[in-house]
Order: sequence, then structure tokens, then C-alpha cells
Amino acid sequence: MSNDIRQIAHALLSEGKVSSVIGYAEGSLKGRVQTLIAHTAREAEKFIFNENCVNNLAVYLTKSYGLINKDKPAAVFLKPCDIKSVTALIQEHQLRREDVFIIGLSCQGVKNGNVMAGKCMGCSIHNPQYYDAIVGETVEEKEPGISDPFAKVKEIENMTTQERWDFWMEQFDKCIRCYACRQACPLCYCEECIVDKTQPRWIESSSHPIGNLSWHLIRAFHLAGRCTGCGECDRACHQNIPLSLLNMKMGKEIFELYGYRPGMDTEAKPPLTEFKMEDSEEFIR
Amino acid sequence: MNENFEPKIAAFVCTWCTYTGADLAGTSRLKYEPNVRVLRLPCTGRIDFSLVIKAFENGADGVLISGCHPNDCHYNAGNFHARRRFAIFRKLLEFTGIDPNRVQFSWVSAAEGAKWRDVVNAVTDEIRKLGPFNEYQKLIHDSFPFRHEDSGAEEISEKEQVENVK
Amino acid sequence: MARIGVFVCHCGENIGRTVDCPEVSRRAALLRDVFYSVDYKYMCSDPGQNMIKDAIREHGLTGVVVASCSPLMHEKTFRRAVTEAGMNPFLCEIANIREHCSWVHEDRKAATDKALDLIRIMVEKVKHNVALESIRIPVTKKALVIGGGIAGIQAALDIADGGKEVILVEKSPSIGGHMAQLSETFPTLDCSQCILTPKMVSANTHKNIKLYTYSEVEKVSGYIGNFQVTIRKKARYIDESVCTGCGICQEKCPVKKIPSEFNEGLGMRKAIYVPFPQAVPNKPVIDREHCTKFINGKCGACEKLCGPKAIRFDQTDSFITEDIGAIVVATGYDLYTIDKKTDNTLKGYGEYGYGKYPDVVSGLQFERLVSASGPTYGELKRPSDGKTPETIVFIQCVGSRDAAKGVSYCSKICCMYTAKHTMLYKHKVHNGKAFVFYMDIRAGGKNYDEFVRRAIEEDGAVYLRGRVSKISQEDGKLVVMGADTLSGAQVEIKADMVVLATAIAAQPDIVPLAQKLGVGYDQYHFLSEAHPKLRPVETNSAGIFLAGACQAPKDIPEAVAQASAAASKVLGLFSSLELEREPYVAKVNENTCSGCEFCLMACPYNAIERREIKNRRGEVIKTVSYVNEGKCQGCGTCVSICRSKSIDLMGFTDEQVYSQINAMFV
Repeated sequence: MSNDIRQIAHALLSEGKVSSVIGYAEGSLKGRVQTLIAHTAREAEKFIFNENCVNNLAVYLTKSYGLINKDKPAAVFLKPCDIKSVTALIQEHQLRREDVFIIGLSCQGVKNGNVMAGKCMGCSIHNPQYYDAIVGETVEEKEPGISDPFAKVKEIENMTTQERWDFWMEQFDKCIRCYACRQACPLCYCEECIVDKTQPRWIESSSHPIGNLSWHLIRAFHLAGRCTGCGECDRACHQNIPLSLLNMKMGKEIFELYGYRPGMDTEAKPPLTEFKMEDSEEFIR
Repeated sequence: MNENFEPKIAAFVCTWCTYTGADLAGTSRLKYEPNVRVLRLPCTGRIDFSLVIKAFENGADGVLISGCHPNDCHYNAGNFHARRRFAIFRKLLEFTGIDPNRVQFSWVSAAEGAKWRDVVNAVTDEIRKLGPFNEYQKLIHDSFPFRHEDSGAEEISEKEQVENVK
Repeated sequence: MARIGVFVCHCGENIGRTVDCPEVSRRAALLRDVFYSVDYKYMCSDPGQNMIKDAIREHGLTGVVVASCSPLMHEKTFRRAVTEAGMNPFLCEIANIREHCSWVHEDRKAATDKALDLIRIMVEKVKHNVALESIRIPVTKKALVIGGGIAGIQAALDIADGGKEVILVEKSPSIGGHMAQLSETFPTLDCSQCILTPKMVSANTHKNIKLYTYSEVEKVSGYIGNFQVTIRKKARYIDESVCTGCGICQEKCPVKKIPSEFNEGLGMRKAIYVPFPQAVPNKPVIDREHCTKFINGKCGACEKLCGPKAIRFDQTDSFITEDIGAIVVATGYDLYTIDKKTDNTLKGYGEYGYGKYPDVVSGLQFERLVSASGPTYGELKRPSDGKTPETIVFIQCVGSRDAAKGVSYCSKICCMYTAKHTMLYKHKVHNGKAFVFYMDIRAGGKNYDEFVRRAIEEDGAVYLRGRVSKISQEDGKLVVMGADTLSGAQVEIKADMVVLATAIAAQPDIVPLAQKLGVGYDQYHFLSEAHPKLRPVETNSAGIFLAGACQAPKDIPEAVAQASAAASKVLGLFSSLELEREPYVAKVNENTCSGCEFCLMACPYNAIERREIKNRRGEVIKTVSYVNEGKCQGCGTCVSICRSKSIDLMGFTDEQVYSQINAMFV
């Protein structure tokens, strides 16, 4: 498969069809990969794809990386789950479809460290939904590897209020506000993050308990109805805060209340920008 | 549960329905609990969830959001947007161990002075039962041990005032 | 540095009884940045207002908080006062310590503390207020009137006579509406056509009126003073500019047996037709559903015989877009029946046999039967066999005031037109017998009760107070079973005809139009006025007015009065060069906007547009949201939706709200 990848990257670059190719290359540690952004056909020789390619490369399509909005599209290797991020970026007008050349990868699941990545266990899309070129044989679609992707979320739901508070306070207490979660997230593309606003300052910037709680509440809510579940926030957090649980909880509620799944349709209206007359209001007096 | 505890409640209301309904409660001389501090906004559509977080950060024990009944919104749709926003936000609070009943939501029309009274009384009662939001207060204290001397809005000493006037 | 003045009003005893105003004023003076604080018996009085003005001048205040009654009460008053002292009005805020404090609390200490809190919250807000200027919007001085019945015609004529342009849109082929169908009108019995036709002609020939018949409103966008309206001109299959209205096409059309809408199905029309002889414009329309040419491509008689060659079988609907400043909705009413195509019986009144017995007719059908221009040329013949009816039973309140089977409201005009029907009948059939079943007679109006008395006393109509339970047919007669509750007797009348005063209902297709216009409607789909007493012709959508029975059942004088009222509102609006409105609109920070367009998707007014930011070489750097101030109504939904806080609402900015929350619980 890596051969096919190099070939296609080489062809795109040497024929001048794309301005760059974003893909995976061997990392400096065994079992780790790194991102490679190739601008010349020669660099394409380094591209690989294997079970360690857990990263979601869609983040490089956000404007701040400066790889899009060139006279030619940027090519990017994307797993089926990563394509959801591209869908969301197009839906949110951060990316035009013609500015990206999607090289779709069929995927049987990838590893995070030595174990299968959490997102893969609940995954049911193994072939790219849409693409400009595809690498690899079509693989058989199969049911998620685990029976309930929301098992962890439900575990927390089943705690008492106090237990939940204690759980999260312990987690948030670890936060050093490095914002790696934000940097890794393809949908945290705001030109100025709310946490950096000072007039007024909605979120205290110090890593004290109030600032941390507000940051994590606001981060989770800002991704509600948008997060496609790539899990990069979890991977990025070196304090091991299970951030994606908050996102999954939001996704679960949005789906249960409004029947919406993010990253599926570039034309869909995000669920918190619209409403239905008959929306649930059981909580309203 | 502290029977003598007087909860601090922040209310964010729309001007067209609930604020006017609260005015009507006044004109009708209905009596209700004095725990709620009302902040008038044009529409529930304007009520961002970060207002609620900010209210808790400032020591609120509970928050009430109130606006026009469905189909009554002066702006047609603001209340529908708010309904979705707070349906989801309350789930987030609940998930992080904050009792969602600390964030109350009601529809009170301009004609429902009596409902406003009932809502304020019921919400005050409910927050009183939940007790002071000690968990959040502790976070505030841990985060800002010196906050009390730092607030911009508090009353200043008369001496200082005299100097200001000079 | 901010220099805020606080003015605490006692409102006589209204605030002072529960709130210790001098104490509040004293403590308010100790709030940071409060430079001046005073309490007074009546702040809204002249001396009170002067205290504010003097303090602004003397102490150079940068903001004012008046602690008094609700801002909805006196915000305008105090903002005017500070303006007179040279301060921008938007630097004055009200702390509501009456409706929200002194009137609703009894504990003096709690009320006093709360009053101070409310003041502190507003002081913090006003510190972040900025001077704002009212927004001025230009006004397009052209009105759209929707509906060409008597209300629409009247409104159009009044606006046009006032010197302003009017677009009059009517969905049917001719203007005139239901009034054109009536024979004579109460309470004077003057001929409807005779008083209406001149107005129809005026509407057609007035230099300021542009008439679009057989047309409908397709799309409405914009806002007061600046609407854009798209009108769908349905294909008539006639070139109106060429057609002379000679009528040869209608005469020669071989498709004859189509029930005439104008005659309420009692007469027939052709497939190419002018709805009635006095129609305006007097141009025919081809009924595509029945025309042989459209069905099988044969015929084309009209095309062959048309002298000026005006037939256009290939015509399609066309669309016209007009810039409009104000809209009058005058779409009128319909009768309370369910869809005639599927079931001809009145909803819930199957026992009356409407649709089953041809001689049971509606009030409007009766109008056609006694009209000189009707299918019988004014000679009253019953539909089944053409016999002159010797006995007619009139039943009032069929559907009206009957929440169980019909509608709960009173249709208002039926008492009067039923009295009129009995008179018209007796004038045509002198020895005829007219019976009226009624619930009670509602004849409020100038000369109305006298009119009903005349029907009873001079023309001998027999009024029976009671309901009809059943109508059956026996030996060519209609047997009406009813109750006379005044005598307590069961009544059975053998009648030749029965006339049902069916309830007035809203137009069946009004809801989509109301939604296009953003106008509210009630459970019966009558359009909602802005205030039932004080703003009866306005709607909650600025610049859109109501006239006639689209708002509620109305008779002709009322419809005309409301039409003239709506016209005067339009002319009032058009008399100003610009509109002024509060500057509470959203503003985008283009530096931080990422252009995700969530605000654009959520905005209820389509007030947010895309704007391209270009560099000096003219290349697009990024696309951001942009607020059209004319369309923005200031709800702030966009502000809550923006994740990066790149959009803010003037008058209720993030900084203001944030400071207020910080001041809530000190």
C-alpha cells in the first residue's frame, strides 16, 4: 500500500496538479509516524501508510497552516474517519472542496501506541465516502469492534452528581492550559480563540480551578454538534485528560435530541444553528 | 440543607415577554422572593451559555433563563435557538457533576405576571433546597484567594469616595 | 475615568414605601465611579428631570443611572432629558426598582438591598455604554397592496390619491372580490356593483396604481421601507396588451359546462372566460385544466377567431420584482366549507344536506341567485327545478359560535345579511314566506338594528329563536326540523329553499403568505394585528398593515374604514424622508471572524451577509460575516452562536453584560 501512496503522491507533484501533499512518514521512534508535507516529487518517496497512522491530517487543511487557498489544491491522505473532518470544514466554510485533493485510504483500524485506537473500536466506516483518488483495496464494512462506543460515557453518566464532579475536577486539575487539545483539533480553527479574548475575558487564562473548568466546559460546548470524534484532543493531551468523553457526550445528546451526526453532509445545517418547532422542552417551566 | 440559606439567583430574561411579564407582576403588586437579580436582554437568543458560567463564577447559586413562549418570540426564532442551546448545555453541566437544576429555564409571556411570581418562587425554593453552590464557591476561593479586595464593582470606603470627588 | 450619576426616585410612595431611597442613594454614592447620587420624590417630573440635567452639566457626568420604574415606562423620558443636557441618550440606563423591587417585595431591608444591587448592576453596565446614534433608513415610497377586494381597492386608491405609487396584486383574474358577487348591500340596499364598479375602474386607471391581476406574491424579503417583493404573474395565455376584450373567444369557446367560480357554481362558464361582465381588467383567461387545446391539442377556436391575435398558448408564468416601502395585506375571507372538490358538505353540518340537496345553498350562492347579473338574471329560481320558492328558511350561525362543530367566533355579518336576504326575497316574491332561525340578533352598527326591525316588521320575515336539527327531503320539499325556544315548541317547516349563513373563515392559502411576510396569525388563521385595541391595523412586522376580513370577519363599512386607516399609516410612513430606529444592531469584528457562517445560518432576518476582505492587490484574503443594519432587528442570536465572540450587539455588548454579571453578587 505504501508503494501506491508514493506513486500517487509522486505523480501529483511531478505533474504539478497539486501544490503540496500532506501525508505520513516514518517517525523517529519505532511505531510512531510523523506528518510529512511534501512540495516536491522527490519528497514523496518518504510517504507511508500503516497501522500506526492514527493522526488526523485534516487539521493541516485549516487556514492557519497556509497550505490551502493556493492556485492549486493541496493533496492529503485521509482515512474514512478523517474525511468527516473535511466534510465539517467544508460545511463550515473553512475549505472549498476544489481546494483539496482527497486521497482516500481504506482503513481496517489504526493503533494508538500498542493498542487499537479508541475511535477505531467504535468505527463502522472503513472505506472513504468520497475522494479524488483512492489507495488500497476496498475493505469489507463491518460492525464496530465493541458493542457500545458510549460505554465510557455511560459509566460516568451512572455516577452520582458528586462523583461526576469529583471525577472531572480531578481531571481538570491536571490541565496546564497548554491548548494542545485546541491545536490538534481540526475544528478549533477560530482566528482568535475565546480563551484569548481579553475584553471581556470570558475564560480566566491561569490554570487555576475556575479557569480550567470554564475552559473545558466552553471547549466541549463549542464542539457540540461539530466534533467528528477523531480523538486528536485525547492524543494531544499529555496530561491524559479524557477530553473526548466530553465531546462524545455532546455528540450523543445531539444525536438523541436532534438526530444529527456531524461530518456527514457538507450541506447540512449545524444543529445549534437551527431548530424545529417540536424540539424537546421537557426542562422548561 | 440550610433553611436560613438565601440563594443568589441570576436571571437572564428577554425584554419583550418575561421582562414585561415581570413588570406586570409589579403593576399587579404580586409578592415574590427577593433573591433574583434580573438582567434584561433583547431576546433569549442573546443569552449565551457563557453568561451562565460567568454567573456561577461570580457566586450565583442558580441561574434562571426566561423568554417568550414558542411562536411568541418578538424576533420569531431567538427562543427556539435558546431552547436547543440550553437543552444541550444542561446535559453538559450534568455530565460534569453540576446539578442541571441550578440552571432553570421558563417561558413567561408579557401577560403572565402571576407565572413570573410562581417561577421566581419555585426556582428560589428549588435552589434553596439544593443549597449553596459550595463546590463552585470552593473553586472560586481556590482560584482567587485575594479576590475580595480586587473587585471593581464593590462599594468603596467613604474616605476614598471623598478623595474621588476631589 | 467614568463619572456616573445615580438618581433614585421615590415615585411618591410607590418606591419609597418599601425601599429606603435616601439610604439607597447614600450607598450608591459609595459605589466605585459613582460621582453623584441623589434621591427625589418624582424623578420623572420637571424638577426631577432638571436635577438630572443640572447634575450632568455641573459634574460633567459621563453616564446616568435612573433608579425608578421600568425602562419600558420612562427610559425614553430620561433619555430625552439627558440629551437636553448634551449627553448621548444611550449613556443613560434605568434600574427598575419599582416593578421589579418595591412593588413585589414586602421586607424593607431585602428590598433596599436589592434596589442597591440593581443600581450597582446598571452602574457597571453604563460604565461600558458607548454613545450610539439612531439608525436612519431610507424609505421606498411605493406600496404593495395584496388583495383586490373592496379593502384592497380602497387602500390602493387612498394611497394613490395621496400621491404615492401602489402595486395592487390580485390572485384571481379580476379585482372586485366578494363584494362584486353581492346583489345589494345592507343597511341601505344599494346595488353592490353600482357602488363598487366605479372604484374598480378607478383602481385600474389611476396613474399611481399598477394592477397585477391573476398574480400572487411569490417572495418577500427586506424590511420596513425597503422590501423586495417578487410577484408571480400567472399565465393567462392571453397577451393583455393586444387583447381588446371583445369577447369573441368566450362566445365561441366550445367548452361550456364549467361551474363558474363567480356564480358560486350556480352558473356555467367557458374554458376561456372573463369571470363576470364588469371584470377589471376585462381580459379573458384560459382555464388550462378544461381547455381542449391544452388537453389534447385540438380545438384552438379562440386562437383562430381572435381578431387582434392575442391568444398565447405558449405563455408561461412570469416574475416581476418590485422595491416596496410598505405592504397592506387585504386578502379577505372565504366561506367556512371544506374543500369543495373532495366533499361538498359543510364540515360538521351534514344534517343540513348542503351539497346533497341542491336547494340548500350558502349565503353567497343566494346573493348570486338574486343578483341582476347572476345566473338567473335576478329572477329568483331555485337551483333544483327553477321553480320560484314560496317558502325559504334561513339558518344563521352555521359554523359560527359553535366550538364543538365549527368555530367559536361570531362571523359578525350574517345577522345583517340574513335580514337583507329576507327583504330581497320578499321584494321579489311578495307572497313568499321567510323564516329565520337565529341564536340571537347582533345588529350593532349605524342603522343596523333598524334594518333588522324593517325585515321583521315591514317585510314580515318570521324570526324563530332556535337551532335547526335536521333537514330532509320529502315530495320535492325540504323539511326543516327545528326548535323555537321562545315558545318552547318543536317546529317543522316545509320549505322550497334553505339558505345557510355559513361562517366566515380565513383564506385557505393565507398561512404560506403570512409566513412569507412574517405576519402572525391566530388559531383560525386570521392575521394578527399588533395590538387588539391600540394598533389594530399594524402587524408586528414593521411596515406591514392589515385591511379587511383577513384580520377578522368584517362587513363592508368596517373593511373600508380599516383600509383607509392602513392607507393613512402607509402615507404617514411615506411622509418621512428616513426612518429612525434604535441602534441596537449586531456588529462583526472582521479581524477575528473566521467566516464559519453559523451566525448567517441562525439569523432570523437574513440580516447577515458574506463580505470578502481583499488585500491591496485585490485578492480575497478571507470571507467574513457582515451585518446589514437595515435588516438587523437586534435579537442577538448571532452573538450567542459565535464561538470566537467576533460579533457583538450594540446596547447589549459582551462587555456590558459581563460587567453586569460581575456586579450582581458583591
